[in-house]
Amino acid sequence: MNVQNILTEEDISILQEIMNISFGQSAADLADVISTNVVLSVPYISIVDVPDLPEYIRSHVKDYKNINIVEQKFWGKFRGDALLIFSSGAGKELISLLQSDVSEHASADPFDVLERETLMEVGNILIGACVGKFSELLKDVVTYTPPRVVVEKDYREAITNGHYDPDKSAIILKTDFRFDEGDVSGFLFLVTSNDSVLWLKDALRTFIEQYE
Amino acid sequence: MNNKILIVDDSPIARKMLRSCLPKDQGFEFSEAADGKEGYEKYQELNPDVTFMDLTMPVMTGYESIEKIIAYDRNAIIIVVTADVQMNAIKTVMDSGAFMVLKKPLKKEELNLALGKALEMLKQAT
Repeated sequence: MNVQNILTEEDISILQEIMNISFGQSAADLADVISTNVVLSVPYISIVDVPDLPEYIRSHVKDYKNINIVEQKFWGKFRGDALLIFSSGAGKELISLLQSDVSEHASADPFDVLERETLMEVGNILIGACVGKFSELLKDVVTYTPPRVVVEKDYREAITNGHYDPDKSAIILKTDFRFDEGDVSGFLFLVTSNDSVLWLKDALRTFIEQYE
Repeated sequence: MNNKILIVDDSPIARKMLRSCLPKDQGFEFSEAADGKEGYEKYQELNPDVTFMDLTMPVMTGYESIEKIIAYDRNAIIIVVTADVQMNAIKTVMDSGAFMVLKKPLKKEELNLALGKALEMLKQAT
């Protein structure tokens, strides 16, 4: 099944708009918790073969060198992986934005517990709100695995080959963001395999029918 | 005379969704722009009665476009239609002179209520 031949240009455009709405919701949810504005980019959709996926992601994050990752798998009719990648130092910045006392929890350990928990919490908010809104708009219900958190790791080691089924294509919904305050930026990738694509095409059609 | 409506959004599907929510029987004259810069240029060219404006767009954001349009015409009626529903975003555009902010995905009733208020304000101003 070739994803490129199944999704039309209009399908992609609808998907992009739904991603835009979904990420807008997740940014608003996060802004309620932290005391700064989240600046969003125009979402971008691409379709890549799974063997090319790690390199695709690495090419977007290579400027960060070290990265922080929060990853959650989600299951519904729409299923895949949400990969939230933060710039180096984001964990500590987020702690500061959440107004915790960093010095109180300072540790010589680079994999500081508080940093990991903060990344996990922020990741939960962003991924949950985004994927949740996305599935709500497409009349789906999803469940999630607990988040996997990677703290301050070289991007080449953090994004490994062989993570996904090599026989599949992936639809990548990417958006990048930065915070108005604090040196935090990153990307949210939703990677969905072509198992979901036929359902997705129908769901997109149903969504747009209410506007026709 | 028919009211002129300008829709500024980088997503063609979002522009189509917005148009589909507006009444078909009121003879509106529609124009569209795909980014804030084109929106500002079309505003100067067409002087629309009501402008619907997205915020997150390439080339020029809706924030900048609103500022430019209001500087050009302080009576411009701009209804922001956005997925960015953070309080700061809403406050920024309202401070810039936007008439109202509507949240995506659009609901036909909300949109028509907002348009009705905008046209009422236009009538009072003329």
